[in-house]
Amino acid sequence: MVRDWKVRSSRFAQNSFAFCCLCLVIFMAAPAVSMEIVGRVPRILILYPYDERIAATTAAGEGVRTRLLEATEGKIDIFSEFLDLSRFPETTHKEKMAHFLTDKYAERRPDVVVALGEESASFIVTNRNSIAPGARILVTGFSSGTARDMRLPSDVVGVFNEYDITKTFELARGLQPQARHLFIIGGSADFDRSWLATARAELADLAKNYETTYLEDLTIDEFVERAAHFPPDSIVLVLTIFKDHAGRNFIPREAIKQISATASAPFYGPYPTYIDYGIVGGNMVTFEALGIAVANLALDAVAGRPIANVDAPQTYIADARQLKRWGLSESDLPPGTVQWFMQRTLWEQHWLAILATLAVIVAQGAVIAGLLVERRRRRAAELESRGRLLELVHLNQSATAGALTASIAHELYQPLGAIRSNAEAAELLLQGDAPDLKLIKQILVDIKDDDQRAGDIIARLRGLLKKRKEIDWKEFDLNEVISSAIQILGPEAKRRNIVISSRATEELRVRADRVHIQQVILNLATNAMDAMLDVAPTDRRLVFQSRLTKESKVELSITDTGCGIPGEKLVGIFDAFYTTKPSGTGLGLPIAQMIVETYAGKIWADNSPDGGAVFRFDLPLARNG
Amino acid sequence: MQPVVHIVDDDTSFLTAVGRLVAASGFRVALYESGDKILAALPNVEPGCILLDLQLPGLSGLELQQHLAQKAPLLPIIYLTGQGDIKASVMAMKAGAEDFLEKPVAGKTLLAAIERALHQYEKRQVEQDRIHKLQVRVASLTPREAQVFDLIVRGKLNKQIAYVLGTSERTVKAHRHCVMEKLGVHSLAEAVLIAEKMGRIDPESNPLHHK
Repeated sequence: MVRDWKVRSSRFAQNSFAFCCLCLVIFMAAPAVSMEIVGRVPRILILYPYDERIAATTAAGEGVRTRLLEATEGKIDIFSEFLDLSRFPETTHKEKMAHFLTDKYAERRPDVVVALGEESASFIVTNRNSIAPGARILVTGFSSGTARDMRLPSDVVGVFNEYDITKTFELARGLQPQARHLFIIGGSADFDRSWLATARAELADLAKNYETTYLEDLTIDEFVERAAHFPPDSIVLVLTIFKDHAGRNFIPREAIKQISATASAPFYGPYPTYIDYGIVGGNMVTFEALGIAVANLALDAVAGRPIANVDAPQTYIADARQLKRWGLSESDLPPGTVQWFMQRTLWEQHWLAILATLAVIVAQGAVIAGLLVERRRRRAAELESRGRLLELVHLNQSATAGALTASIAHELYQPLGAIRSNAEAAELLLQGDAPDLKLIKQILVDIKDDDQRAGDIIARLRGLLKKRKEIDWKEFDLNEVISSAIQILGPEAKRRNIVISSRATEELRVRADRVHIQQVILNLATNAMDAMLDVAPTDRRLVFQSRLTKESKVELSITDTGCGIPGEKLVGIFDAFYTTKPSGTGLGLPIAQMIVETYAGKIWADNSPDGGAVFRFDLPLARNG
Repeated sequence: MQPVVHIVDDDTSFLTAVGRLVAASGFRVALYESGDKILAALPNVEPGCILLDLQLPGLSGLELQQHLAQKAPLLPIIYLTGQGDIKASVMAMKAGAEDFLEKPVAGKTLLAAIERALHQYEKRQVEQDRIHKLQVRVASLTPREAQVFDLIVRGKLNKQIAYVLGTSERTVKAHRHCVMEKLGVHSLAEAVLIAEKMGRIDPESNPLHHK
């Protein structure tokens, strides 16, 4: 059974006068000792009271070793001895150990002996003359009160750790200002009882404000049971449990771990070794700090500097996981508290990166929001402008229809006239003696055909005047629209002796509003027809040619044999109100341009090498047709 | 020989229908789909009249009219046209179009126009025949008789004529008698009329000064 490192409170001492005297004696005695080390590195012997598994002494020993190696840059001999006095407390063992060490270090007498813990200190004080004659003896791992009780020789200098349970209690009160209950837990070993007595004395004043209960003389199971039913507004201070009421021995922190595991209130304790065993924290001396402090004394001693007793630095230590477990706030900890097991949040580890990222995201968000607003505005503006465009296109349609009305009407009279003549002919034939019924039948067939023709002409005219409130997106073959436009223009072209021809290769599917594309063609074609007014009637030709370009665009060119476009006018020809005709509104070409651009195409004009102008526009090819 | 109505229209359907109507009304018809086709058939087209679409592709109605006036001057032309083409109509009438009809035309109107045109054709034919006969008669005059004829119709007295021609009044009298005989006229007035039709009374040319 391994026991924890024993410690006692300074307040254990009842007689402060005696303490002061002791300090005075030590202070006066210390500088008297000096040391001479010649021609070799200093030798330090560290005495561990137990075996290497005891965390407290091992941590302190490591502190000493690390500090010494660091300060001397390795020019030092460090020896370690584990006395194992807890498992072998017999006097014979101590004597054998003393003999063994005397022999072992006969040729290499240590210059300084660091004794960790009371047992080691007693051991070396008893055996110093045989094991380390003339060496400085340094002790640590217990309080100055204990040191006084032990009546250590005056040249023995120590780093004393003062355990102040009231400071641990302060930490608890800070964290739990609402707490109304105070429980103090201690075991049934002698040490446990003395600790309880010290605590009673020290906490007497502070505990008045709480419903205070000392839990002692309980078995481990009873401790567990009681702890599970503490009121939530309780502060629980644990001292040590080396032994329970049933006489079972414990490593205190193991017992505390067992009790706190199912406890209903947070535990606090004075030892760093309790951390990770269920306590929230406390005011403690870390063993590592003890080690470093005593190592500094050793270095001073080796260097021949005067040394004196010191108190080990105390720190508030808290277990971050326990704070979290009990929902206690970090900000309520006393200033300078060291948090162990802090699972630092992403924020704490990378706050700069996170802040930068957030800033970027926020900036980006702002930009995106701005763009969205802009997009909405733009969309609204686009809708409005599209509405206006549709209106404008309709006006343009009406104008075109008006210009073509005479021709279209004439076109309509052809089938109507034919129907009439046919009907009258049939009438006359029927009046005869032997009517030619075969001819009459043919006449009726022709009448039906001409009626169909008239109907088609009217349908085209209606198509020309069709008003759009919304774009009617459809996929269609551009060549169909070209031939429909040619049919509309046909009569007018005929009237003006213009010969229209069209050359198409394959099917050219585009996605747009058919009526609009037809209007573009009509605008370009009527423009071209007007340009041929001054040309000899036999030379008036209008050629439509559609093709698929290398860039996968559908292109239509309309070539006339007119006078062409003067070079300086080529640029502004699509501008509004630009017109060369006295009757022109100057809106045909700009509207054509607006329409083509609405459907992601472009429109341009050029002069053909044979004289005359070429107007072209292209549209994206509809892919999945 | 019954006259033929020549119909020219590029619209086959319209052409056929009008052709049927005219044929059903008892006329002979000939159909042409373009101006070039009827010109190709000239000058051997049968007599009658021409029904012509004013707006023909290629050779237009007016151009065709000019060709026809040279090669078949006797054939009256009736125009069929769409509404409102006043400018073209006026030009056609000035060029001697017989009639002008708007499409769609009622059968009755069309047939009446055809009747008139054919009647006109007959009149022209008769007139032309008459002129032809007169030309034959005038051609039968001897050069001396022709000289006497030209002087008579200008109101010269026998004495004056004899003086101009350097002959006796008696001789002139005899020639004058022969002229009246050959031309089949009984009065000076009739002779003047013929001379006028034949274009012999030209104020620019005074035969008295030439001889």
